[in-house]
Amino acid sequence: MADSPPDPPTPAADADAPGPRPVDTPPSEIRPHLALWRELESLADRDAGEVAYVRRLLELWREHQKAAGAALYLGRESVDGDGDPDSDSAPSPRELLREISVGEGPFPTSLTADAEPGNGGLTLHRLPGGILAASHAEGDLPDGPRSEVLTLLLAASLRALRLRQQLKQQHFQVNYRVVELESVYDVGLAIAGTLDLDQLSEEILLRALSLLDARRAAFYLRHGESYRLERNYGGEAREALAADDPALEPFLAGKGPAPDGMMPQARHVMGVAIGGQRQPRGLIVVADKESRTGVGPFGASDRRTLSLFANQSAIALENARLHRQALEKERLEREMELAADIQRQLLPDGAPALPGWELLGWNRPARQVGGDYYDLRSREGGLTFTIADVTGKGIGAALLVSTLHSALDLLIDRVGVSPELFNRLNGHILKSSARNKFITLLLADLDSESGEINYVNAGHNPGLLLRSGAGEGDAGEGDAGEVVELSPGGLPLGLMAGSEYRSGSLRMEPGDLLCLFTDGITECANRDDEEFGEERLIACLRRHRDETLGDVVACIDRETQEFAAGLPQLDDETIILLRRNR
Amino acid sequence: MSESLKIQVERRDGLAVIYTEGYINNQGGEEIARAANELILDGHKVLLLNLQGTKIVNSIGISILIEIIEKMLEIDGKLAFCCLTPTIEKTFHIMGLAQYAGIYGDEAVAVDEMRGGGAEGGAAEDSAAKA
Repeated sequence: MADSPPDPPTPAADADAPGPRPVDTPPSEIRPHLALWRELESLADRDAGEVAYVRRLLELWREHQKAAGAALYLGRESVDGDGDPDSDSAPSPRELLREISVGEGPFPTSLTADAEPGNGGLTLHRLPGGILAASHAEGDLPDGPRSEVLTLLLAASLRALRLRQQLKQQHFQVNYRVVELESVYDVGLAIAGTLDLDQLSEEILLRALSLLDARRAAFYLRHGESYRLERNYGGEAREALAADDPALEPFLAGKGPAPDGMMPQARHVMGVAIGGQRQPRGLIVVADKESRTGVGPFGASDRRTLSLFANQSAIALENARLHRQALEKERLEREMELAADIQRQLLPDGAPALPGWELLGWNRPARQVGGDYYDLRSREGGLTFTIADVTGKGIGAALLVSTLHSALDLLIDRVGVSPELFNRLNGHILKSSARNKFITLLLADLDSESGEINYVNAGHNPGLLLRSGAGEGDAGEGDAGEVVELSPGGLPLGLMAGSEYRSGSLRMEPGDLLCLFTDGITECANRDDEEFGEERLIACLRRHRDETLGDVVACIDRETQEFAAGLPQLDDETIILLRRNR
Repeated sequence: MSESLKIQVERRDGLAVIYTEGYINNQGGEEIARAANELILDGHKVLLLNLQGTKIVNSIGISILIEIIEKMLEIDGKLAFCCLTPTIEKTFHIMGLAQYAGIYGDEAVAVDEMRGGGAEGGAAEDSAAKA
């Protein structure tokens, strides 16, 4: 833009005029031009800038036209578009936008290049690349050098303004490209730092809107065989979409329209898959790309930008998912620790002293909270001991163990070790547990004087009594090393209503060793899926039966671990050992 | 977040604050421009745009904000922004708005600075406001 007009004619130029005259007196035919020039020169205030200069020039033109107002309209190639030749969001080149107006209008914000003079009460004067409009002009543009100069100057100014605008637009577009790139980069940082899925959904939606100049947007996440709407903006969006909707694939590839009703109020819809088209984690859908003149479709570069953004979003979503999993795991671990604490409280601290007898209980859960349970309760003249195994592990198992413990606390003194006790326990466990939960339980009562043991076994591994061979006569005696089993007398508790239970009895003689155990011992497996089994357990007991009970347990533990050959312990392990010394 | 931009204007002794809530897009930007034009016609030459309620702005909204800045420069007025999200503040810096308009973290600081005559350009005030 020319901030100042060309230099005025010099006295040397005037010297060519015929006839002598004073240097400061121009010839009469030059005087009107010179007067105009001085007038124009006075307009050129270098500090006011070119827009102000053109405004003043326009004002001068308006006065010359004797018009109430004047306006300058310029054609624009692309005002706010993304520079994408595929995009039709930029205004039409045939549309001219009002740049500057002075005086009274009304002047519309835009005119088409083929606008008719007199339309809307305006007089229109066409210039290269623009239109001069005058309101209430008195007739046509007056002829004469003054008019010619003004028009030429306005035309030149108009061209300069237009170039300046183009430069400004290019500058804007370059800057906005930087914003887009920064946004995509920031998305990686900002939304990767947002691990809350709700917040992440909002971030993704808002950034997609902003990045694509979209008026509306929707964000879907995949849940099983469908996409569920997480967030939308600017209008309604379909709540859910089947993942196998036949319209979806061509739509996401930019080769087909949006599935029915996806964004009912939108005219132009574009969507991309998050995390690739094979196994998308979700969808980002934008609609109605904005320009200063309205909305239009998105172009190829918009699709590329949105795809890039979707890739970044996929990483962020994966981070959020993993974070949520980690939090859930942490929460479960805390709950498990708490449950383990509670369960530890249920297990006895040690074995009660029983003259003439040795007693030991040992338990090692496979996870923090196991399903095994044992108890050793002394009573006057004897002892009640319990070993149980609840199906499953974790909190559910711990709760059921706790239920069993409480029920035994309430009932055992009143009912004693009997089928009646097991009937009641069975009913109680059935009511208190989930359908697939049950308990195997071996409950025994020892008379420490006689060595008589009365027991009921509800589906638990049979206890093993290793005879010393020192006994005589009645039930319970046997040959040295003979093994007697405390076999089941009914189904596990909680498995079936109305189960019936039978009790059994035997007598322990001096030197006899009783071993109660859970299936974690006998079902301990090696790499060939072979189980440790009852035979190996009996052999181990026989080999070490004369050692201290602590050593016997240590030997069983060592042998099962050697058998497993480094495989992790998969099930809880519990052992109760009872030996009669005299 | 509000779906269409809502505007509230407060006039205070020659200074006017425009509060926005919602998306500064084409429609939102035009709303702001309309409010700014009314204030200019009423003789206000010091405008503060508080964008606390705005989380997003698109390129059309920015181009309209630039036009408002240009208009304020033409009338030797002052324009500043305050309470921007980090994303919007970064965008304004990249797009050059911060060269011609002050950017402040806090409305009270912005009002003080603008009344004190310090909001001619954005960069100095911006650093001062952040400091």
